[in-house]
Amino acid sequence: MVNEQRLEVGSTIAIEKSVLDDLLKRLKENGYQIVGPRVKNETLVYEKIDELNDLPHGYITEQEAGYFRLHEAGHSRYFDFIPGAQSWKQFLFPPRVDLFKLQKTNNHWEKASEENQTVKYAFIGVRACELNAILIQDKAFMREDFTDPIYRSRRERVFILSVDCLHPAETCFCASMNTGPRVKDSFDLNLTELDDVFLVKVGSEIGRNILNGLPFELASSFMVSSAERGLENAAQQMKRELNTDGLPEFIMANLDHPQWQEIGQRCLSCANCTQVCPTCFCWDVTDQVTLNNNETRRERVWDSCFNPGFSYQAGGNTRPSIQSRYRQWLSHKLGSWPQQYGTLGCVGCGRCITWCPAKIDLTKEISIMREEARS
Amino acid sequence: MIAPTIHSAHETHQLLEPDWAEIIDITHEINDVSTYWLKFNDANLQANYSFQPGQFNMIYVPGFGEAAISICSNPNDHSLIGHSIRFVGNVTNAIKNLKAGDVVGLRGPFGTAWPMKELEGKDIFIACGGIGLPPLRPALYHIMQNREKFGKVTLLYGARTSNDLMYTDEYDAWRAADIDVQITVDRGDSNWTGRVGVVPMWFYQFRIDSRKTSVLTCGPEIMIRFVIFEALARRIPTENIFVSLERNMKCGQGSCGHCQLGPYFVCKDGPVFRFDALQPFFNVEEF
Amino acid sequence: MDYVKEIIAEYQKIPWFQELNEKHLRKISEISTLRHVRANETLFREGDKEDSIYIVLEGRVALDIFIPHKGKVRFYTAEKQELFGWSSVTPTVRQRTAGATAVMDGLIACIDAAKLRQACDEDHDLGYLVMRRLANIVASRLLVTRLQLIDMFGYSESKNG
Repeated sequence: MVNEQRLEVGSTIAIEKSVLDDLLKRLKENGYQIVGPRVKNETLVYEKIDELNDLPHGYITEQEAGYFRLHEAGHSRYFDFIPGAQSWKQFLFPPRVDLFKLQKTNNHWEKASEENQTVKYAFIGVRACELNAILIQDKAFMREDFTDPIYRSRRERVFILSVDCLHPAETCFCASMNTGPRVKDSFDLNLTELDDVFLVKVGSEIGRNILNGLPFELASSFMVSSAERGLENAAQQMKRELNTDGLPEFIMANLDHPQWQEIGQRCLSCANCTQVCPTCFCWDVTDQVTLNNNETRRERVWDSCFNPGFSYQAGGNTRPSIQSRYRQWLSHKLGSWPQQYGTLGCVGCGRCITWCPAKIDLTKEISIMREEARS
Repeated sequence: MIAPTIHSAHETHQLLEPDWAEIIDITHEINDVSTYWLKFNDANLQANYSFQPGQFNMIYVPGFGEAAISICSNPNDHSLIGHSIRFVGNVTNAIKNLKAGDVVGLRGPFGTAWPMKELEGKDIFIACGGIGLPPLRPALYHIMQNREKFGKVTLLYGARTSNDLMYTDEYDAWRAADIDVQITVDRGDSNWTGRVGVVPMWFYQFRIDSRKTSVLTCGPEIMIRFVIFEALARRIPTENIFVSLERNMKCGQGSCGHCQLGPYFVCKDGPVFRFDALQPFFNVEEF
Repeated sequence: MDYVKEIIAEYQKIPWFQELNEKHLRKISEISTLRHVRANETLFREGDKEDSIYIVLEGRVALDIFIPHKGKVRFYTAEKQELFGWSSVTPTVRQRTAGATAVMDGLIACIDAAKLRQACDEDHDLGYLVMRRLANIVASRLLVTRLQLIDMFGYSESKNG
């Protein structure tokens, strides 16, 4: 189906699902390292993908607090599952990365090598919540007064192929966070998956160029209204919500709320939530030195405010109790983040709820705090 | 809110990559504190390096890591950069094993400064203790070099014992520059003829005009808390109290998240804070 | 009496005494003496059974406790216009628990504590003012002691830089 219609940035067209395969080939030809969702050992990961069939075709996920299952439901769609523990932050902000290597010659340290951490990624299947998380991390890693060169070099080059969510999981609450299920902007191409076709919205010139020349048809009004209906249903179906009215002020005014202590008795301080959270950005740096002390590698690794040593300094630990560390995490995410970066730090993806072994649900905890503060 | 310093990173540098500086001299100060005088290997860097009182550098010992150390030297002296270092952890104890001639990594300056411009025309009451004096010494140099711009200046400094007092050979020079230097120790021996008693409690001994006095304080956080308590009791407004805080710092640039206190990154929005900004969080336990 | 007038004049420089009425001020002055001290002069020792309350008018007095193997530890200094030896006002104390040594030449006012206690018994208004003042002094000393006790400059060994 070749069409005379010219593709523009902002156009929405429809493609046969197999055309996505051609799109992936195009991306590879353009030097992108393509990463996307795949099923691996009964779990969902974001890894290298080569073709359409690498995607979790026919899968759905079942999620609840402390519960995650991947099922092969046998339907015909590629993106009906809701993402698992991994998020895209591992690519822009790698969990472990070398900053530089030093070598000692004649008792004198010198840089041994330049670590070029620039990678050109194509992200396939970015959800609205995940895209908003990337935008939130952009504000943390790329500022006027300081920019992380690793993050920026990857972020500037990344191709984002995003996907609207039509079947949210039980732990999703992006609708109440105003971060989904619909992808609004900041993408190169956005897909809405219907039964037979993908609707594709062109978000940028780069997206337009990659798509240009591939067969497409105009999106019919039936297709568009199906997509709209699907998105509306998705938003309605969400089982969880977070009331964000005056939330930062509420949290900062209730740092002494007894509920923190209550949570502190359940929280394991395992740091799962910070690992799976797509906006958490804390990191540590270590010297990986050889035994003869002649070479050292400065390595940046993910860190977590739940780690006991996180706030340790000469004189002691400023957050020795689990309760204080949990409060730090949540009061940062929902309380002080806006003052730092202009938005809340949470995108409602629900990962912290799904992957918490103690089943702690922040939407429930905040709701309890608000209730008790009212009475 | 004191605006953070915009640090112009060397464009060619990797993240956290330091410049290199030689230890030119080491002054033994007290039992576990020595002052390291550093000079960049690159003469241009050294000539162009400048800092404001209250700022800090990240000093790197390859194989061990970095430590955030306040700069304690005269801001007008561009020949050497001084850092009084207490040997208390892995990195600082590694520094202790270095000698003059050894080279360390150096990044900085980082952080906010004591508001010297805003303090002009005011009386200044400096209440500090222990290793809290080094970050204030550059402010003292600035005051001495611009004495006529400031009103009455009092330094109330305390330490655990007389053996723990820093920079004792400079007190007379400060007094000669019309700074009222008052010293106290937590406990004295029979040879000590000075004050015995904690810094916050001596506050009340001084006559201050609370309408034109600003308080600068630095030291153990518990001491800071009580100094502020006393300052507020003397009706000094929270906008005129300035505090220098310390937190676990890894990057010094407001990125790694370790040093956060509520919405503030102590390395970027501090370490010098105006107290009214800190007040909502200051007395929250374990925050 | 000239001597009492001299004492009144000294007391009038001290803020608390300025709150007393003339009768009370005179009463306390009549039971006080002035004592010039030299540096290193001992005013009283641990274990002494003497019964006075002191106010530093000029100079500085160190309070100390003798610790075997450590020597005399000075745990407080009374500065100008500060009171020490307050335990004499409470009826239960029988002997000094610390020593007092002048650290520099100075002038100390000494109040006969037995006579002060009697004056307080006879005039409850005066008694109330004196006890109230003492309560403030003891509270403030307690706070100093607590801050000394928590040893805010004491640092533990830590592993990180």
